[in-house]
Amino acid sequence: VTTFLQQLINGITVGSLYALMALGLTMVYGVMRVLHIAHAGVFTLGAYAGLWAFRSSGSFWAALVAAMGAATLFGLAMERWVYWPLLRKPPITTLIASIGVFIALEEIYRIAAGPEPYGFDVRLALPDLRVSGLLVTGPQLLVILITGALLLGLWLLLTHTRIGLAMRAVSQDGEIAMACGMSPRRVIAFTFAVGSALAGAAGMLVGIFYNSVSPTMGSVTAYKGLAIIVLGGLGSIPGTVLGALCVGLVETLVIGLVDFPLPRDAWAFLAMIGVFLARPQGLLGVR
Amino acid sequence: MTWRNPLLIVVSLLASTVTPAAAQDTLKIGFFAPLSGFAAADGASAKHSAEIAVEELNAAGGIKGKRVELVTYDDRHDSKEAVSVANKLVEKDGVVGVVSGSYSMPSRVTAPIFAKAGLPMTVAYAVHPDVTKAGPCIFRNGFLGQVEGWAGAESAVKGQGAKRIAVLTIKNDFGATTGAAFIERAKKLGADITSEQVYPLGEKEFSPYLTKIKEQNVDLIYHTSYYNEGSLISRKARELGITAKLEGTEGIDSPKFLELAGPAAEGVTFTTNLNRDDSRPEVQSFLKKYKAKTGTEADMVGASAYDAVRILAKGIELGGSDARAICATLAGLTNYPGITGRIVKFVKGEVTKPVQIQVIKDGKVRSLATIDNPEVITPPVQ
Repeated sequence: VTTFLQQLINGITVGSLYALMALGLTMVYGVMRVLHIAHAGVFTLGAYAGLWAFRSSGSFWAALVAAMGAATLFGLAMERWVYWPLLRKPPITTLIASIGVFIALEEIYRIAAGPEPYGFDVRLALPDLRVSGLLVTGPQLLVILITGALLLGLWLLLTHTRIGLAMRAVSQDGEIAMACGMSPRRVIAFTFAVGSALAGAAGMLVGIFYNSVSPTMGSVTAYKGLAIIVLGGLGSIPGTVLGALCVGLVETLVIGLVDFPLPRDAWAFLAMIGVFLARPQGLLGVR
Repeated sequence: MTWRNPLLIVVSLLASTVTPAAAQDTLKIGFFAPLSGFAAADGASAKHSAEIAVEELNAAGGIKGKRVELVTYDDRHDSKEAVSVANKLVEKDGVVGVVSGSYSMPSRVTAPIFAKAGLPMTVAYAVHPDVTKAGPCIFRNGFLGQVEGWAGAESAVKGQGAKRIAVLTIKNDFGATTGAAFIERAKKLGADITSEQVYPLGEKEFSPYLTKIKEQNVDLIYHTSYYNEGSLISRKARELGITAKLEGTEGIDSPKFLELAGPAAEGVTFTTNLNRDDSRPEVQSFLKKYKAKTGTEADMVGASAYDAVRILAKGIELGGSDARAICATLAGLTNYPGITGRIVKFVKGEVTKPVQIQVIKDGKVRSLATIDNPEVITPPVQ
């Protein structure tokens, strides 16, 4: 039982990281109906920006601000100069543009920072928690706490502010929202900013958690993120969090409890195919 | 002749300095490595070291008075790219021999091309058994996976006294061969293998695997991994409070492992061919030159590339520029003082030399033991 609970904790940690990464994807899809592949590039940018700020300032919080800030600026730039001009074109155009930007970003990181991974060694002030044989390590605690705080912030933003209301409205039906006097343009930009900031934070946390920042760190997350938002229901924020936690838990428990020959990365996609067949709107999607 | 056009002067000067020297007094050696892509760090290490070898050869007057020139290509760890690089080396560059400073896959697809062209080839560190099977004139400086696995077991069970061992293998040719050989020999030596888990290349989350190992109460965890995975395994094992010894392979023989694993690297042992504590002057001189050239510590990939170039050069020196003579010389080479170990001889292109067990102590790579049991280090070829 202890091992099972321990694996549960491991799974929740991984799921939290997936959730932070995938939330931006689902939010952007919600307001713009665009599959934002380059989101994974923004995630990597967060990791590099955080690492740079951490090395020059030595402060975790400064690094987090830099990671989220750089990601936000880049997300806004993409919205302004890539997605918005292409929005009237068929959806495949934005998808291709997004993939192109993602590939270009990976190469830019490689040229600018070199192909090899950098360590991101933060001395955490968090202790290891030990409760009756269970162990939550400092880095795991960090991931769970920061994710929890950011999710709480996002929930408050969506339910208790006017802009949050507008985001939900545009996501549900852009034209009606416009008819009610909202400006979808501003709402979309704001959504990009928030989603990118979350991805930046996720990138930095992944960098710290695995002590490794490299140009290609976003590639697995890029396609797994897609599987997770489909699983949760495209555009559904609670669905994405649920989907991310499910994928993290299943991956961990299968490796930890049974010997199964399928690689861990396959589960998210099996789940995605299952959802397409049985419940195309996703776990919590409505449509 | 009157010089009116300054550009013409420059062009003529360039032509007069370059052409004659290149045409007659140079020996070209082909070289390829993954200089871009995920393996670029290893590619860079191999390239710098091959250049050191060539600089040394030329400083000593070249090979039989001929200047050595390294013709370097990037294979991008891509099979199509590697094939076109091999064709260029064979058809366009007129090289006398080729050195692979690359991984198994590019070495494997190019070996038949060089074999068909009758070019001698030395392979720095690629592990796949098929590489040397492509022809009679391919010589591998690195160990076969089996030899490394057997040596790892020898060190774990006999040297470090481990009785209960958990095995974590990476899912590729290297991991599977090395892991299976380790298990075979460890069982033979009387150790108990509590579990064998396989993980994919690029795995980042090792807590499920290690949480499982933690309750098995093992003395040692043997992992076949590269520095990314190996450093994560070390960190996560220590984070989870696992105190078992950790033993890896040459895949973690890199300064990057020390950087990424941090304090968790302390005490980790691994099998490799480069012994940093080898007192022979050629070894220490290479380690110094590498550090001066790149600013980082040398690793087995670089040292192996250096050896691969020098072995081919030895063959040319003794055999002349005729390919068959070079092959015969290398096939009969005995007791060659490579910096990655004294080569007893080549058996069907496979090297016979001691396996080094290195340990990380106070943040430095040190020698723990040398495995020279012939039962272990003789390459398994008939």
